[in-house]
Amino acid sequence: MHFDSIIIGAGNGGLSAATRLATKGQKVLVLERHNVPGGCGTSFRRGRFEFEVALHQLSSMGSTEKPGDLRKLFSEYGIEDKIDWIEIESLYKVVLPSGFTCALPTNRVDAQNHLIEKFPHEKANILRYYEVVYSFFDESEDFAKAQANSTGEPSDLKKFVVSKLFSKKYPTLAKYAMRSTQDVMDEFFKTKELQLCLNTYWCFMGMPPERFPFSILAKCTRIYIEDKPYYLRGGSQVISQALVESIKQHDGIVKLSCGVKQIIVKNKKAVGVIDEFGNEYTCDNVISNASPIDTYFKLLDKKDLPQSAIDQYRQYTVGISALTCFIGLDCPPDEIGFTDSFNLIYEDADCNNAFKNAYELMPTTDPLVTTCYTVDDPKVSPEGTSVITAGTLKYGKAWMELPEDEYYDTKYKACDIIIERLEKKFKGIRSHIEEIEIATPLTHMHYLHHPEGSIYGFEQDLNQSVFFFPREDQIENLTFANGWVNVCGFGPNYLYGATVADGILKGAK
Amino acid sequence: MADFKTTVLSTLQNGKNVIEQIDALKKTGTDYSINADRTDRTINKYHNDNLKLRVNEIIEVNKDVKTFRLVSDDCMLPVFKSGQYLNIFTVIEGVRTSRPYSISSSSKQRAYYELTIARVPNGFVSNFMLNEVKLNDVFEASNPAGEFVFNPIFHSDKSVFIAGGSGITPFISMLSEALDKGQKRSIKLIYGCKDYATVLFLDLLQEYASKHSNFSFDLVLTNKDEKVVTEVGFINKEIISKLVKDIEGSTYYICGPQIMNDFVVKQLVELKVKSRWIRREMFGSSPNIVTENGWPAELNGSEVFTLTINKDIKVKCNANESLLVALERNKVRVNVCCRSGECSLCKVQLVAGNVFLSKGSLLRHSDEKFGFIHSCKAFPISDLEIII
Repeated sequence: MHFDSIIIGAGNGGLSAATRLATKGQKVLVLERHNVPGGCGTSFRRGRFEFEVALHQLSSMGSTEKPGDLRKLFSEYGIEDKIDWIEIESLYKVVLPSGFTCALPTNRVDAQNHLIEKFPHEKANILRYYEVVYSFFDESEDFAKAQANSTGEPSDLKKFVVSKLFSKKYPTLAKYAMRSTQDVMDEFFKTKELQLCLNTYWCFMGMPPERFPFSILAKCTRIYIEDKPYYLRGGSQVISQALVESIKQHDGIVKLSCGVKQIIVKNKKAVGVIDEFGNEYTCDNVISNASPIDTYFKLLDKKDLPQSAIDQYRQYTVGISALTCFIGLDCPPDEIGFTDSFNLIYEDADCNNAFKNAYELMPTTDPLVTTCYTVDDPKVSPEGTSVITAGTLKYGKAWMELPEDEYYDTKYKACDIIIERLEKKFKGIRSHIEEIEIATPLTHMHYLHHPEGSIYGFEQDLNQSVFFFPREDQIENLTFANGWVNVCGFGPNYLYGATVADGILKGAK
Repeated sequence: MADFKTTVLSTLQNGKNVIEQIDALKKTGTDYSINADRTDRTINKYHNDNLKLRVNEIIEVNKDVKTFRLVSDDCMLPVFKSGQYLNIFTVIEGVRTSRPYSISSSSKQRAYYELTIARVPNGFVSNFMLNEVKLNDVFEASNPAGEFVFNPIFHSDKSVFIAGGSGITPFISMLSEALDKGQKRSIKLIYGCKDYATVLFLDLLQEYASKHSNFSFDLVLTNKDEKVVTEVGFINKEIISKLVKDIEGSTYYICGPQIMNDFVVKQLVELKVKSRWIRREMFGSSPNIVTENGWPAELNGSEVFTLTINKDIKVKCNANESLLVALERNKVRVNVCCRSGECSLCKVQLVAGNVFLSKGSLLRHSDEKFGFIHSCKAFPISDLEIII
């Protein structure tokens, strides 16, 4: 059977690319090895509870009156009006070892005022910081637009002019785009606590502030304030399934429990795939939603593998995974003092130093990202119960080296530490646990098939992300749509999937 | 590296520094083409859904019960948690089907898995297993799975195991996990059987009880036996109150026939045991679906409906058999594991028609929203159209 495009993997990037292509009239085939679509965008059941696997706060939604990029995309896909969206009331709450807490409202002025109230001596810096964050975002948008409009390789003269004038035209970008979060925080703020209230998104991405690009922080900050964080009834599995339905409505085919075994290459071009049952499909384009490491080094025949593919990834390091407890409680959240949905609980305020522990098995000093879904959506579980996920980002290597006989004991021990730490903040939590499941880096490896259980692809640091994603295709007609070539997260990958699809549609014209 | 992008980025603050670091990384970096199968190798230690298990030993327990010792000739057996089950596939009279059986052997060793299988009256698979299976027969099996396990995070260190008949099997593995490993738990087993002759693993239980002061067991027999002194009747709240010291402070694990399972849960609820401390093995399929609460009164189970699969295949299905069985009987291949509504592997999308969903079907919100049902728990009550 021949298709315009074949998509390997029904994760967020793959599904979005497939939906865009299908809605634009392409004949698409999505092949997914798991029996459930969505990759990280999924959920699972235990007892009376359904647990969200990965989504905390969806970005770029905006309101119906003032839609953000993602809401617009979902409208175009025909799924926006089929989903019950839930606006989240606060950005996050930071809890420091000293007992200091700070819960930030989603409105910019309110957030600024709240911080000024807590840190009056830093008032001017706080205001100046938000100005810079907003200018940074606006300049990035302008620059991206200018890039999109330019066609082909620029002339030498243009190159010369651009490199000379860049800092004049985009002063904020020139000053901040290549710097680390820590570097920028130190420029603005003397108070460590205040830094921790503002650099929070590093915990989402798993890069400590001294390696976390300020560029990503600035964009997260601006987007979550302007477009508000969102959740949805039923969790991310609903988006995944809605995308599948949309693909099918546009005559696309989505095959679950059907992994790809090989990509067929002829004359150095990808021309089709073979599935795990030996069926062959031909196509004009292959989009891989799998890791580039699997795609190039497992799915390609050795004779088809160009040396350039090996060279391209040399400078990259496989990124971080996660250790998460999914907890169902037999009491409402307020009974154990849970008031804000999204909490970041520090054990060690020196977060750059504490990050070293991410390479170890036990979550003793790592920041705990703790989300109570019931706060924003009381209907997420039966009345009188609540759903919490609590975890931290951890590298997979230590878990991979663990003798398998010790795995379950180690997993319980790690979980026990997390519950013990939560017990200090939310007294009584352990005595209300009705269901608990633990996902380790090996769990993520199993379900995502990512090397080292990486959840975001390569490290999202200054050297490997933002301007330096490995986006050059090494085989003609074989490209990627996922967090290995793009900034991580749900919103960014749905949007990037559409961009990749547009690139293919452009080439097909 | 001096392309246009690099030239521009070098003009940014800290830009040169970053570019230099990248250049250095290129020289010292990783060749990911080496060791590309590491992910698979790691996963297979824990999950292998294509197990091929060979019968290495058959132990005849009595005329209606056999223990099968299964080994793998091509890989190390994946680790499992005591209390988990194995779904094994068979082809009987041309029909490919499967059954989940609790692993009775210890999770401390991985040379083999043991399944102890009892005859079910008219059981399609159990009779085949007991009558036909020989040494060196090979079965396909999915990875050990299931949530009926001891969880040290929130379970009490006082465990009460309540078993009925061959429902003892997961507890044999769980006892070995707790006792051989020296966990600091006290365990009381209440074991219900028809009569003394049908009690399984009696020698082993007696041995454990004599060796370990933190374990004891009591038999509850439906038929009074002259030779032994035991509790007689069903495992009701009076018997539980009499045998269990700390009623509200213990965690209960129940595995047995569906009727006993439901009965015991009701007793525990009446004894004010919190639901978080009542752990039960999955809901098995009801022997007669017509008797389940909510079954439409106008149907008696003998109705035959037309099932349309993927728009083009039409087959007959019976009201009193699950969709999964109908599919298997008609040789339509579906994924399957727990056959009890939990694992979601056998789910199909219902496009038209109505089904009766038996209890214990753990659907996701998105399943309900988009019409997915677990075929193992869905019984046809009209003509149906499904997508697999």
